Amino acid sequence: MSGHGHYREAHPLPLMLSHWSNLISMIVLVFTGFYIHFPFFAGFMGAARSLHFFFMYLLLVTITARIIMAFTVKDTNQMGTKDRDWDWKNWIPQAENRHQLIETAKYYLFMRKEHVISAKNGALQKIAYLATIPLTYAIAYAGFAIYTPAHQWGIWPFFEAGLTAVGGDMNMRIIHYFLMWAIILFTMIHVYLANIYGVAPTKLMFFWIETEDPHDRYHQ
Amino acid sequence: MAQDARGEVYDLLAARGVSRRDFLKYCGSVAALLGLSEMYAPQIAAAVESGAKLKPVLWIAQGLCTGCTESMAQSRTPDVPTVVLDILSVNYWETVMASAGSDALKAITETVDKGGYILIVEGSIMNGANGNTLRVGGRPGREDVKEAAKNADAIIAVGSCAVDGGWVKAAPNPAGATGVSEYLASVGISKPIINLPTCPVNPEWIVAMIVDVLLVGKLPALDSKGRPTLIYGSTIHDNCPRRGHFENGEFVEKFGTVEEKKQFCLYKVGCKGPQTYTNCPYVRWNDRVSWCVESGSPCIGCGNFNWVDNDAPFLTRTSNVKLPGIGGVAPSTVGAVLGGAAAVALGVHAVVSGTQGRVGKGGPPETEKAYDRKKAAKGGDK
Repeated sequence: MSGHGHYREAHPLPLMLSHWSNLISMIVLVFTGFYIHFPFFAGFMGAARSLHFFFMYLLLVTITARIIMAFTVKDTNQMGTKDRDWDWKNWIPQAENRHQLIETAKYYLFMRKEHVISAKNGALQKIAYLATIPLTYAIAYAGFAIYTPAHQWGIWPFFEAGLTAVGGDMNMRIIHYFLMWAIILFTMIHVYLANIYGVAPTKLMFFWIETEDPHDRYHQ
Repeated sequence: MAQDARGEVYDLLAARGVSRRDFLKYCGSVAALLGLSEMYAPQIAAAVESGAKLKPVLWIAQGLCTGCTESMAQSRTPDVPTVVLDILSVNYWETVMASAGSDALKAITETVDKGGYILIVEGSIMNGANGNTLRVGGRPGREDVKEAAKNADAIIAVGSCAVDGGWVKAAPNPAGATGVSEYLASVGISKPIINLPTCPVNPEWIVAMIVDVLLVGKLPALDSKGRPTLIYGSTIHDNCPRRGHFENGEFVEKFGTVEEKKQFCLYKVGCKGPQTYTNCPYVRWNDRVSWCVESGSPCIGCGNFNWVDNDAPFLTRTSNVKLPGIGGVAPSTVGAVLGGAAAVALGVHAVVSGTQGRVGKGGPPETEKAYDRKKAAKGGDK
């Protein structure tokens, strides 16, 4: 949101780097994924698959590290402040978010004029971000289940159980494909909402450029 | 006695124009298929020779197109697998046996009473209308399977239909077709079953399994779905002679093109090789002459479970998803519609946000949560 300062304490360096890593991984995974699903130009399959596997592992490592960071890194939990607290509170709705989920939805649907009181992240935002974690693991699970070298692994029965449950490789491929669309839809909405009310959050998230607000107590 | 059997087998083979040399050579290739050294060829020959006398086979037909029997009988010349199966003491095989009616059915009862036989089932178990969608000898056909399974040393389900219902089971499945494993489990017979899916079955695999049972005296290593790992351990894709073209990104876009002539990869015209687990690429078919991809057709995934519903349409990359009220739609169409709808919705949202003066700064902040405001209006905390 605009109207308040965006300071580096909101996105400490490790979180900025993991966001970059996730973004690059997702772009490569989605592009190569589309290519593997249906090769729309010649001569790229070997490279597409290798890239897909490399960035899949990178994404899994990064997202797992990111979960650990939620409990080991402090960042700001409120808007327009430099006061830091545990990052996990930015993922789980807190006192500031209480009673605001429906109001937030109403605001986005133009059913109310005023923007709602919230923490640094709104109630909807926190739920959406939280959902990306099981979503990412689910798409990785579906991916391993259709990856034939995984048959040789000790934990193959774990993936085979899922294959049996959904009725075979073809259905798992389609699930893997639709989960990618879930990630694409999340990203479209995420990019839109992060920028429609001002580009200060993007400048901070990607380039660590702060936007100051003279009304913050840091300037009084 | 072994000497007698030997003579008898070779007389039978000679009568069909198969020399002893051909037979031993074939036993060597069976050894290779079973993952054994060719050194085992004489032992395999001996197992078949004595097995011919000792091991009766019951071949029970259920809901089927007889394609698997056709596959066994496809030979231009009397090929070795057919002969090997022929010289086994096949006590019942209704499609090819001479006797008929109650005389023929008596063979089942007699063989079951003696025990120690191999049961081969071809075709799906038809459970519709209490099993009356298939009647044999005045009773539901599945009763024959139940009876024959009782004392069998080994049960082999040949072809996708016998394995899990095959194409007979494809939606809407009015016959209530299932596979042998599922049926026998439902009637309380728990016996390990060798599942040999594909439509039709490859005769080489049946011979290999029978030889394995004769030679080792027990079932071969099976995966969790009862398939021999030797045959169904890796995908067609991983052993495909066209795999190089796949990695190079060289695909047949359309049939009748120069790419097809160059034998490029059939992935884009629907090849299901990447998710089909059989050894077709190296065992091949019809006397090891060729197989689907080698003859220019994409794999249609007939070795998969529930293969028709999962793998049709055969010439597209994926099967369709069934949407209520719309029917089958390609997953890529669903994805594109979702993505397009989201893009349009966000565009409209941006325009409305512009008219509301929210772009670049958001709406004016509220000073109190709506919940607290309402609570205060009701009288607040008293």
